[in-house]
Amino acid sequence: MIEVLKTGWHNTIQDLGRFGYQELGVPSSGAMDLNAFTWANKLLNNPSNASCIEMTIKGPTLKFHQPTYITITGATMPAMLNSNTVKMYRPIKIQKGDVLQFSNVTSGCRAYLGILGGFETEIILSSKSQYKGLTLHDQIDKKSLIPIKEVPFIPKGAVLKTPLIDYQSIFLKSYKGPEYKLLNTQSKNRIKTLTFTVSRNNNRMGVHLEEKINQKLPEIWSCPSLPGTVQLTPDGTLILLMRDAQVTGGYPRILQLSDDAINLLAQKTTKDQIKFEIKALH
Amino acid sequence: MHPNMILLEWQQEPSSGLLQELLFLKKNVKEHFNGISQITQGYCSLLIQWKDAITNLADIKNKLIFLYWSLDFTSIPEKSKHWNLPVCYDKSFAIDLELLSSKIKLSKDAVISIHTQSIYKVYFIGFLPGFLYLEGLNSRLFFPRKESPRMDTPKGAVAIGGKQTGIYPNQSPGGWNIIGNTPIPLFDPNKKNPCFAVPGDTVSFYPITIEEHQLILTNGNPLSYLKEKK
Repeated sequence: MIEVLKTGWHNTIQDLGRFGYQELGVPSSGAMDLNAFTWANKLLNNPSNASCIEMTIKGPTLKFHQPTYITITGATMPAMLNSNTVKMYRPIKIQKGDVLQFSNVTSGCRAYLGILGGFETEIILSSKSQYKGLTLHDQIDKKSLIPIKEVPFIPKGAVLKTPLIDYQSIFLKSYKGPEYKLLNTQSKNRIKTLTFTVSRNNNRMGVHLEEKINQKLPEIWSCPSLPGTVQLTPDGTLILLMRDAQVTGGYPRILQLSDDAINLLAQKTTKDQIKFEIKALH
Repeated sequence: MHPNMILLEWQQEPSSGLLQELLFLKKNVKEHFNGISQITQGYCSLLIQWKDAITNLADIKNKLIFLYWSLDFTSIPEKSKHWNLPVCYDKSFAIDLELLSSKIKLSKDAVISIHTQSIYKVYFIGFLPGFLYLEGLNSRLFFPRKESPRMDTPKGAVAIGGKQTGIYPNQSPGGWNIIGNTPIPLFDPNKKNPCFAVPGDTVSFYPITIEEHQLILTNGNPLSYLKEKK
């Protein structure tokens, strides 16, 4: 059992996501940075879908009521175990009564706290990923108790030394979306060459950019959209849909981000810069 | 669009015939192809997502075309239900009704009357869990979506966006104009069928007062106010 002493900023339980319910309008959800999430589990020899806590900007303060192992991956988020600093990307032994406290991220946006066997929270529509209106809680609540498993584990000294993704990179590899062809040359050039700024409006549902595209495209009949779809709204705003995004939408889909680009974008926050790198499919 | 995906689009306006075609094709694609992770449907499109990147695009394309031409779309059985939903059009819920009614030059009562007289067809469920995309809005009520979405459209909001009308099953950002609210829950993840309606069903609305709205909300079984007609 883990006790949440303080909540931090926005912290949710996430796994790989919820699949097969998109026909009912259910978003896929799942960890925003699937790459960092995957490493959190790999380092603990967990099943690939074991749930982690996704910690945005600032993680919680947790008290462990049983021994276990944890690992921290993703954004650089300094953490103290009792009064000692802990390192990222390696299994960390936890004793009963230990307190783990996170500070604000110093680089990136989202860190992942993996735990041996994953967190034992409710499964709704085959996933533990918290989503408002679907799971009982839409984030980690203060004073809540999170059950965990007792799993035998012998650390083999696995440590990840080299950074896997350059979180400083601003390039988002993308493909042309179905409505890209509706853009005029000027808009296309702007999208290809401009360095865009992430606006305050960025969350698990989508990331809005500050710089606008001065071309009003017609509304389209609502059609499938998914994480990584880049929409252009009538007021010229580009919205980059993320993991909790709607499964259909009516704004033209001008780009589709690659999977790596979604993971990278998950580490961007307000005022960060990005640039699109449009690739051919084949 | 993406190495794992194929998007099928029909260059025509939505119709119930096209809907039947999409639903039937979707069912058959699921049965005839391996490695599909999911298929999402729009008014005039199907997005097929594979678990892995597609390496044999030409083969899959041919197989899809062959499947499409081999299907007999005239033999699809019609079995659908009709749902009559209570909606409160009181101004405390209908925050965009004033603006919409003045812009389309119809009285608020006329908007409500037209909105409740139509029968709408469920084309697909999307945007949010349990959000029904309804076709059949009277063209006199067409009104464009907001230029930028409102951050907190309330749960149960009945709204108009362009040529469409719909109900927000939960509080969420949304770009549609709110003209009322239904106390009926549109989605319950703990039920075997989280959403009572399926694509192909029809829906209509009946007006209720704010008191009735409150009564249904506090009732233990709000779905009992949902009038199902065969």
